Amino acid sequence: MPDFRYVGRSVPKVDGRLKATGSARYTSDLSFPTMLWADLLRSPHPHARILNIDTSRAQKLPGVKAVITGQDTPMSFGVSKQDQTPLARHKVRHVGDAVAAVAAVDMDTVREALSRIKVDYQELPAVFEPRRALAPGAPQIHQDAPDNVAGRCRYQNGSVEQAFAEADYVCQHTFHTQRMAHLCPEPHNCLAVWEDQDRLTLYLSSQMPSLASNMLAQAFGLPSSKVRVVTNHVGGGFGSKTLSRFPMDYVAPILAKRTGRPVKMGHSRAEEFIYSSFQPAYEINVKTGVKRDGTITGRHFQVISDCGGYASYVPAVTSVDGALQGVLYRYQNYLYEGTAVYTNLPYGGALRSVGSTQIHFAGEAQLNMIAAELGLDPVELRIHNATRTGDKTAVGAVVHSCGLAECLEKVAHEIGWKEKKADPRPNRGLGVGCGVHFTGIRYPGSPDADFAGAAIRFNDDGSVNLATSCVDIGPGTSTVLSQIAAEVLGVDLECIHVVYGDTENCPMGFGTRASRNTAIGGKAVMNAALEAKEHLLKAAAQKMNTDPRELEAGWGRVYLRSRPEEGHDIAEIVRFHRYRSNGQAIMTSCHWDAPSHGNTSFAFSFGAKAVELEVDPGTGRVKVLEVVAANDLGKAINPLGAVGQIEGGVYMGLGAALGEAILLDEQGRMQNANFLDYRAPTALDVPPIKSILVESNDPVGPFGAKGVGEMAMIGTPDAVAGAVFDACGQWITDLPITAEKLLSALRDR
Amino acid sequence: MKHRLTITVNGESHEIFAESRRTLLEVLREDLHLLGTREICGEGECGACTVLLDGVPVNSCLVLAVDVNGRQVETIEGLAPEGRLHPIQQEFIAKGAIQCGYCTSGMIMTAKAFLASHPSPDEEQIRGAIEGNFCRCTGYARIVEAIRSSAQRLSGAQEDA
Ligand code: FES
Ligand code: FES
Repeated sequence: MPDFRYVGRSVPKVDGRLKATGSARYTSDLSFPTMLWADLLRSPHPHARILNIDTSRAQKLPGVKAVITGQDTPMSFGVSKQDQTPLARHKVRHVGDAVAAVAAVDMDTVREALSRIKVDYQELPAVFEPRRALAPGAPQIHQDAPDNVAGRCRYQNGSVEQAFAEADYVCQHTFHTQRMAHLCPEPHNCLAVWEDQDRLTLYLSSQMPSLASNMLAQAFGLPSSKVRVVTNHVGGGFGSKTLSRFPMDYVAPILAKRTGRPVKMGHSRAEEFIYSSFQPAYEINVKTGVKRDGTITGRHFQVISDCGGYASYVPAVTSVDGALQGVLYRYQNYLYEGTAVYTNLPYGGALRSVGSTQIHFAGEAQLNMIAAELGLDPVELRIHNATRTGDKTAVGAVVHSCGLAECLEKVAHEIGWKEKKADPRPNRGLGVGCGVHFTGIRYPGSPDADFAGAAIRFNDDGSVNLATSCVDIGPGTSTVLSQIAAEVLGVDLECIHVVYGDTENCPMGFGTRASRNTAIGGKAVMNAALEAKEHLLKAAAQKMNTDPRELEAGWGRVYLRSRPEEGHDIAEIVRFHRYRSNGQAIMTSCHWDAPSHGNTSFAFSFGAKAVELEVDPGTGRVKVLEVVAANDLGKAINPLGAVGQIEGGVYMGLGAALGEAILLDEQGRMQNANFLDYRAPTALDVPPIKSILVESNDPVGPFGAKGVGEMAMIGTPDAVAGAVFDACGQWITDLPITAEKLLSALRDR
Repeated sequence: MKHRLTITVNGESHEIFAESRRTLLEVLREDLHLLGTREICGEGECGACTVLLDGVPVNSCLVLAVDVNGRQVETIEGLAPEGRLHPIQQEFIAKGAIQCGYCTSGMIMTAKAFLASHPSPDEEQIRGAIEGNFCRCTGYARIVEAIRSSAQRLSGAQEDA
């Protein structure tokens, strides 16, 4: 391995100083002269026809500048289906569906005006459970979906029937996973400004400004170049701030256009819990066949996901999860059937791993059951079946780098699996889970592309502007991209200035989703930097009257390989090259489309978790003592940042495992939309987390890198569930594993 | 009705007119344009808005501005005079305790007050000190680490002095 100056080193965040001093600016910090405030009027009913909306009393209130309803928002939008309008037109489909909006001089006036809008509803029968929604005679939520099915998907390879016939042991279980909130610290918010009548700038707390801009342009009937989306720093995303999937994204521009003034709006904290497209609830049925030696012969997954009132991302992610489960183990007989169902609940989306954590929970928890049933070691069972480098998997994807077995071995070793298993202690348990996640994604039904862009420009002072299509929502994207650029260009890290989150000044790309920034964003940066370096060396060769091949760049200089003391500062070369007759600037760009290898993603990251915990049989309370997490991330460009991703992922995984859940009443109103009642783990709840970085060196990823952020969460709930069984003999098959659930299971036994 | 208030923020005295229901957080952000102090929950449950009031950490979203009349407030903006980072800020950066950064100001202010009264805390005490500070990104481990190393540096500095 060559010795790198930056790649592979734990570099502190390049924006650390901005953030540590409170100087980083987020969309929520913005205000403009003459700016108005706006908010939505939301439906109190889960399913109702809108008979009439009377806004006259609101219009009359001094300070109110615009009141709009569904009649004023003619466009529709959506991801899997175009089934949403910014404001409901004929009927509402969930409690909280937006029906009207007000822009006014301050929030007090906005609230008062909203309370003066009178909506006449005719209530309709509603349905809140996917199984009921699928049943004949259920209320129909969308006209074009008579059976309330928003989407179906299917992956099939070989024959599961044959696999079950050949197996020595076949079992089938049903699992349920909860609705979980992203809990972005910065809630969804935006600020719309029109320049002329046909040029919109939307400041949007967003992971994906380019695609957000495309969706808005389409909805407003504008050329996409006329919709500029700007993100600033982003206070967390976790999959919720993708595309333009929220009423405010459209309503703020409409109100701004009407009033001729900038309009700011955003979710309150309570709204953010429930209206930012939480992780939807899943019902997952898994049937697995196994040989006596533990070889899996085949698996059949049936998944029912609850979209809520609109499809949004849910059909797409339900499908993608099927692609992923087919990559984890070597069995070839595979059937995955997903059904995404409309109900009269607020709509869901994708949360850190697009539901893969949930599907893994089912598959892996069942594997733990199988191990217990057959008297096999759950770690060995997994290693025995684990996908390896070079495998062609059941979904057709060829895996070009895979450290799954190594991850399993390492977590078992680190937690003391063998020793502790040999010497069990009362009420203590060990559990393991593992998983796979994609690096980048080609969503079924969307363009067959998965690209990022990068643009590099040398400045006169030898510094570099690096513009990227990726958005740094917190994981350290700008740091990692700076490391890659500095490494390739031979400049100091401090000389790289990263520009992101502005569709007008950054290259086009899919933005931040699917654990793709380091690998796909990084590859674009690497290629742009390689080309820029070539230009730089050529320019230096002219100045030094030598051949470019005799030169190298490093430490901010270009020098002769044979005599490193002879050379020039990069700044000198840049100016020499620019300020002369027929001069040139050193500027390059790259659009890198990740190769698909015939599958959804160019690479897959793998990982494993081992958990030790203690169950209090008197209360059902689970205390996690330690989590060991190993991630195959190809290559850790920045180990410090990668460890931070793993710790954050495990933290969210523990939340999913043990307590976090959006609780709804019988009408679909959230019962615990505040921090106290929602109970995300606090610093005191989180056990020590030991992270292990496994480097399988992907042949395509930049310096061998793959993704990490989502894989970091996957496997945690499964390992916890396995450890709970190990501690007290109870399988909990529906998340979260609360003390009440466990206690009642213990009492019933 | 608006009240006339005198509030000293980061050593600088300000005269403000504020209605009785306005919070210290609102006054800091909207009147004084000190945007480093952030709101996550707005109801005293997340610690993002933590500032020091006469040296004591408070959730500024719960404190009424009128109650701060004549008192001293310290915010994140006061921690790095002339751009020289406070050791806690340096440690947060060095140890990887910052991801999206939205919780960071509150975490650092909480840590500052905590370390003033607990110069050599153990891990459990550090976790207890930030229990009321929500962070969605980090899993808290790097933050605990940063506070621990800040403690070492700060007490080392005192011994040197
Ligand atoms: S914003 Fe003040 S405690 Fe959360
Ligand atoms: S760093 Fe994002 S909330 Fe703490």
